[in-house]
Amino acid sequence: MASRIVSLTVNDREEELLAKAGTSLLTVLRDTLGLTAAKRGCSQGACGSCTVLLDDRPVPACLVPVETVDGAAVRTLEGIAEDGELDEVQSAFLEDFATQCGFCTAGMIMTAEALLAGNPDPTRAEVVEAISGNVCRCTGYEPIVAAILDAAERRRESGRTA
Amino acid sequence: MLSKVHLPSSAAEAAGLLRAGGWLIGGGTVVMPRVNTGAVPVEHLISLRHAGLAGIRVDADTVTIGAATTLAAVGADDRLGFLHPVIRSIASPPVRNLATVGGNLLVPQPHGDLAVALLALDARVDVVSVDGARTGLVGEPVAPDEIVTAVHFDLPENWHYRKAMRRRHNSAAIVTVAAVLDGERTRIALGGVASRPVRAYAAERILRDDPGAVAEAAEAAGEGVEAFDDAYASAWYRVRVLPVHVRRALLGED
Repeated sequence: MASRIVSLTVNDREEELLAKAGTSLLTVLRDTLGLTAAKRGCSQGACGSCTVLLDDRPVPACLVPVETVDGAAVRTLEGIAEDGELDEVQSAFLEDFATQCGFCTAGMIMTAEALLAGNPDPTRAEVVEAISGNVCRCTGYEPIVAAILDAAERRRESGRTA
Repeated sequence: MLSKVHLPSSAAEAAGLLRAGGWLIGGGTVVMPRVNTGAVPVEHLISLRHAGLAGIRVDADTVTIGAATTLAAVGADDRLGFLHPVIRSIASPPVRNLATVGGNLLVPQPHGDLAVALLALDARVDVVSVDGARTGLVGEPVAPDEIVTAVHFDLPENWHYRKAMRRRHNSAAIVTVAAVLDGERTRIALGGVASRPVRAYAAERILRDDPGAVAEAAEAAGEGVEAFDDAYASAWYRVRVLPVHVRRALLGED
């Protein structure tokens, strides 16, 4: 079994770790780095609960062999709040009751962050398309879509771009 | 049991590794689910992420897309606007940030909608192995020790695409229809109705003779298809709705 040293910048912190062949980015985040916001759901890229930003793009972390992204920048839900202050997407999810059991929430928020970074004023249809890879098995999609639209508005009003 | 993930820096290096055995991995959307459940019967994976196979080139009317180009990159390229509805019909945005053109070409139906589009476009496929490079046609077999490096096709003038699925987003195909209706270059390709994308030859012949005979062509589209049952639809249903979706695709109806 050939392990490999992999360097990642995770939530602005340099990390170096040893990964066995085929270890997913998700396993590294959860089991090596202790960042458990990204959830292990289907392990097939179908549920979206492990969505993180890989070089600013949302991806299912379970589908990424970590060795292939040596040197990449990764952002997880743990790296969104600044100085303990929730950002607009997190606040909107909290205040608009967009979370039921919470299992999909981290992936939903990371997908929403990527959407709003590229499209600060999305339509409802664009939000729905953006989260089409994030399954909420409580089926609480309506408040989630509303929270993302609300977050976009909050962010536009605050003048922050991302 | 998996013991190594190779990271070749060229297609030639990847081909050398592949000759010794193992599986290629592009975006990981097909291979990693197997890795995650320990169901990988090979010891080596050969990643194409750093093999220099990503990129899109448009020279006059000819498009070249590297096999490791992500679906998201195709979907964001303004020169390939006609393919954007195809890309947006495949999986979800996060999966499209990983999934590659080469992978989509080789994945079995009812996935692989871009492969259906490439069949309609009469795409050429560049392939490399340790024995050298060759160019084939989309739909032709690729040997286990060969690596698809790029696809080329000419931009179509009259392009039609439609995918019927269980939901508006992120669902495999019930039926996929892609068509180029440029006179002699009339080609209709179907997905979801056989294990691989197939041409609707009978429908093409009817349209070549009479471009207005859309209803007749749609009825003929099912000739020779071998539809299958899966979780998305039964074979019976696929065959039943195929003419409807072919007609709607050709007429641009919603």
